[in-house]
Amino acid sequence: MSNAHSHGDGSEHPAAPMVEEITDFEVLEIAVRELAIEHGLFTADDHRRFTEWAESIGPAAGSRLVAKAWTDPAFKARVLEDAVAACKEIGIDWAEPTGFGTPSDYMNLRVLEDTPTLHHVIVCTLCSCYPRPLLGMSPEWYRTTNYRRRLVRWPRQVLAEFGLILPPEVEVRVEDSNQKCRFMVLPMRPAGTENWTEEQLAEIVTRDCMIGVALPRPGRTADIHPVQKARRPVKRTSHPPETAHERKK
Amino acid sequence: MARSRSPKNPQRPAGKARFKVGDRVRVKDLPNLFYSRTQMYVRGVVGTIAACTYQDVIPEDEAFNRDGQLEQYYIVRFRQKDLWPEYPFDNDTVQTESPERWLEPA
Repeated sequence: MSNAHSHGDGSEHPAAPMVEEITDFEVLEIAVRELAIEHGLFTADDHRRFTEWAESIGPAAGSRLVAKAWTDPAFKARVLEDAVAACKEIGIDWAEPTGFGTPSDYMNLRVLEDTPTLHHVIVCTLCSCYPRPLLGMSPEWYRTTNYRRRLVRWPRQVLAEFGLILPPEVEVRVEDSNQKCRFMVLPMRPAGTENWTEEQLAEIVTRDCMIGVALPRPGRTADIHPVQKARRPVKRTSHPPETAHERKK
Repeated sequence: MARSRSPKNPQRPAGKARFKVGDRVRVKDLPNLFYSRTQMYVRGVVGTIAACTYQDVIPEDEAFNRDGQLEQYYIVRFRQKDLWPEYPFDNDTVQTESPERWLEPA
């Protein structure tokens, strides 16, 4: 069999995958998954259901945890003492469903409490470690090498790019989750939220506030990263097609 | 805190933790034997133990399925100025995790 095929119009090209961006790790994942299915460790349907469940976890549980910690000092103390145990009080069991910390991959969680003089921000310089049972899948930018290497070296500049500029007297503490702890930021409760219910408070605790690249404030209920359009000079061709078409008329 | 994965080999717990919160430690600059999670940016730098966290297998063993021996892990706090001398803000810090064998008293 030839490794080239014809389109009937005389053109020939070697067979190539339509998506070339697949990484070695994705190839490895597919190979291991297919082997596991072949050997009966789980079925393709099990895999589909698990993936859909893992991808459906959002940051809502983390928001609830922060809102409850803001309104209940005893709960906050338990969160800071043993966060995995405290998660059970808001209905999140880190051991579910495999018994050893899936989808988190580990069962050590530490919640980092911000104060008026200390601001935390999390990163995984090695890959993309993230407290998934509480926050779901990490945002795409969290996994980029740009964020991972620059946050450790230039944290204030990176935070400024997210719109967060902190005064020099506030200590910026970068937490690198390079081993088996997973981290989440407990931001300070903002002014203007007195007498709010837990539900109201949870609405302003967005994913970015729990990563530490934003601060909660009344009215801010979504992480919006505006798409910056490149402003580069556009060079017009000497004969734009529409002009050529106009000329024919 | 709970151990993470279900072990295949019998677990051998680590002994008493060598360091306590507040101790000054230097990260060793050991050769990387195939795999390590100890970043280059903290090698040889002195920091402070911020927390004694858990006992677990070290990544250098785990990568090769040797999951019997547990080791004490720590969170170590570094001043940014100790990592990068030209860093402009005195108060800022970075914390990373490390198993005990990568640390020595400073």
